[in-house]
Amino acid sequence: MRMRIKSGVSFALAFCSAACLATSFGNAHAEDASSWRDLETKYIFGFTTGSGIGLEGEKEFTIDTVGRFGKRDGHYSATETKYEFEFTPTQFIQIEFGALGSTHNINGVTDLDDRRQFAASGAFAEFRYLAIERTSSNPLAVTLAVEPTARSIDETSGTRVHNYEFETVVNADLELLRNRLYAGFNLLYEPEVTWASTGEVEREAKFGGSAALSLRIASNVVVGGEVWYLRHYDAANLTAFTGDAVLMGPTLYIQFTPKMFMTAAWNAQVWGREIGNPVSLNLAEFQRHRARLKFAWEF
Amino acid sequence: MATVHRMIRKATLVAVCGMAMSAVSPSQAQQASEIHLTYSKGQFQPTEVRAPADKPITFRVKNLDAKAMEFESKSLRVEKVVAANSEGIVNVRALKPGRYEFYDDFNEKARGALTVQ
Repeated sequence: MRMRIKSGVSFALAFCSAACLATSFGNAHAEDASSWRDLETKYIFGFTTGSGIGLEGEKEFTIDTVGRFGKRDGHYSATETKYEFEFTPTQFIQIEFGALGSTHNINGVTDLDDRRQFAASGAFAEFRYLAIERTSSNPLAVTLAVEPTARSIDETSGTRVHNYEFETVVNADLELLRNRLYAGFNLLYEPEVTWASTGEVEREAKFGGSAALSLRIASNVVVGGEVWYLRHYDAANLTAFTGDAVLMGPTLYIQFTPKMFMTAAWNAQVWGREIGNPVSLNLAEFQRHRARLKFAWEF
Repeated sequence: MATVHRMIRKATLVAVCGMAMSAVSPSQAQQASEIHLTYSKGQFQPTEVRAPADKPITFRVKNLDAKAMEFESKSLRVEKVVAANSEGIVNVRALKPGRYEFYDDFNEKARGALTVQ
């Protein structure tokens, strides 16, 4: 417990320091929000994705790492990095694709083999369609997205598998205060099927949603917080419920130059339950902490 | 296993086709309104322009400066680099009434706005 609080405080301090540093760079002179340029909302909400789809003709290379930390016992850390190319061929569609790399550092965790490895773990593609666009008289924007992913390494255990996932998401956001305050919402359905090397087939699904609030504190810096509620099922059609969890934490977005930005987020599991196991938190299907760090270069 | 693979492939194909088809709106077949902009000494001229709603728009941006500029707008969702002493054409979908800002991404001070009515 003390470790959890300590790591949480460290993350929070790191976030505050980064935001202060970025603000001091970006805010050398007093700025009026009405003079700020419009903001691309896709990456300002942390794990929650905004509705932005980029600009027609824009291309972007990103390195997006998500780390997952902490199981019931032992030491557990795993990361998955997307090496991603994205482009916007029309004013309504964005396409992304890329390769996945993963790391696993597992020691003494019940039901998982000890492991220290780095591997190229798969590939993915994402198709995003802007269904409702924001205008000066309509603050709401909605994007529909699907992301098929194929993995050769299991996300949790790091073992060799054939895994196919089909994430479908509704990304919505609201501009609450012009150029200043934004609310983001995601609705997620993520079925997947896994063939283990033993021949065993596992079907599962994740279903849930998130809400996020982000405040632009300087023209190039946005800070905020988000909360996720996720449910896990041992069936793609959401019939075999196995547990759920609530994760929450701070988010940070910094635009370093007009063509380069980073986003960071950290979530801690604050509530969870495993069906049939009367323990606090759900550490069977979710993790104690997760963190995201993404750097992007537009060209 | 093969059946599931086929289903995943089919679902992806259907989703992509659906999104691509709905992205082509009927209004794109309409005659576009043309807006002429000049970029000189790091400024747009004029800085305020108007266009009718629900009709596609074509921006013709003439860059008279000796260095390249990038016509960009988050709300119009377009960007286009216009080389020095040349003209760039930017096509924009039919828009709803509102105010849409544009700027030169290489020059913080160069800004303008389109009002759609």
